[in-house]
Amino acid sequence: MTQGHITIVRLTSAVTAGLTLAVVPQAAQAAGVLAGTLIENTASATYSSGAASGSVSSNTVTVKVDELLDVAVAGLTTTPVTAGSTSVVLEYSITNTGNGGEAFNVTVDPAVAGNGFDAVIQTIAYDSNGNGNYDAGVDTVITNGGATSSLAADASLKVFVIVTLPAGATDGQSSQVRLTADAVTGTGTPGTVFTGQGEGGGDAVVGASGASDNATDQMIASLATVALAKSATVLDPFGGSQPVPGAVITYTLVATVSGTGQADDLHVTDVIPAGTTYQLSSLKLDGAGLTDAADADAGVAGASGIDVNLGTVAGGTTKTVKFDVKIN
Amino acid sequence: MKANWIASIIGMTAFAACTLATPALANPQPVELIGDVKVEKVVVENGKETRSWIKPQVVVPGDRLTFSTQYRNTGANKIDNFVVTNPIPTGVMLAPDGAATLDVSVDGGKTWGKLGALQVADGKGGQRAALHADVTHVRWTLPVLNPGTTGALTYNAIVR
Repeated sequence: MTQGHITIVRLTSAVTAGLTLAVVPQAAQAAGVLAGTLIENTASATYSSGAASGSVSSNTVTVKVDELLDVAVAGLTTTPVTAGSTSVVLEYSITNTGNGGEAFNVTVDPAVAGNGFDAVIQTIAYDSNGNGNYDAGVDTVITNGGATSSLAADASLKVFVIVTLPAGATDGQSSQVRLTADAVTGTGTPGTVFTGQGEGGGDAVVGASGASDNATDQMIASLATVALAKSATVLDPFGGSQPVPGAVITYTLVATVSGTGQADDLHVTDVIPAGTTYQLSSLKLDGAGLTDAADADAGVAGASGIDVNLGTVAGGTTKTVKFDVKIN
Repeated sequence: MKANWIASIIGMTAFAACTLATPALANPQPVELIGDVKVEKVVVENGKETRSWIKPQVVVPGDRLTFSTQYRNTGANKIDNFVVTNPIPTGVMLAPDGAATLDVSVDGGKTWGKLGALQVADGKGGQRAALHADVTHVRWTLPVLNPGTTGALTYNAIVR
């Protein structure tokens, strides 16, 4: 009796729904109809028989749409990120191309075939405040292999991977970092069914993506190397070049910075050789005199030695430091 | 073996609705309509594709469904102008194959024709040729249905 009652109720509401919905234009959805949607089909007929006419409706057949597990991952870094001495942020997007809410496990692999170096992963975080930028201490940090929050059908989430160069990286080497997103419910061959695990109590079915996708972002090491060359010239009191007492030795230190990156906090230092005396105010940087005192200019010099702070020097730059000592 | 099919059906009790449409049981409908649905199952075995149509257990976007309506003249008299109308359910669209030959409507059943002759608003103030996904209703017209005549009307749909 109960069974019959239920059938009639369903039939009535389904027929009404079928007729009402038919006149509403159907918007196509990128990810398809949402999991749990009921597809209800009812046909009706009109006819005449002799002088009489009538109409009849069929039963309604109902199919419930199950959850399709699909995902798309894209690397958002279109031009390679330049990585120097500080960490860089690689950006990826994960889009739930399925039709139900789903969280995704995020795995980051810095070891991609063809890499010049494998980046060191510092942090993986997703854009939990949705502003599109990495906010340290604000965006939710996940472990490598950890899950994002649940993404609604069609929704996208930005994921940030913060990496640094490994110790062995050299200037100009490039590297790819791969991010893989797997549906938390499961992955597998398209068509694989996870019974009862779909949204809305139905099944979950692996879609064409295998419920897993990955993409890479590229980075390029931009480093600087510093070479320092020291030379000396001697001027004796007689106009010659003999290193005799009273002769003045001019030391020249040439710092050459090469590479596409920059050298930070670069200092050129030297000690005053034993048996010689620093000649006051003889310190020069690229031909310009520097005071001996520790003041606004870059140089400090005295009896113990010299120190020229070159600060940040870009690759391709040469800096020349000179100072004089007199042989005692 | 790789099964590419998919699927869940609920409440698919085949139950003729004529008792609802007709208040008095003493005057039963001379025609019955029985609806059914099948999902296409593609099995790839040794690189060979086999298609079959089964009762759906799981359906997901992209699946192909066949909706069928069986009709039968259960009365003693000839029936004329038998017109069966089937709104396309929300969540599916008419499949492109075979759509051209059906009598369809793209405006909720107000006007009818072959798909190639119909137009819809293009959303930019103009009109464009209607596509299979625009179809809102399908219709079949049978001029005469003699007593005992039975048959099935089908259309294919794709889960959006």
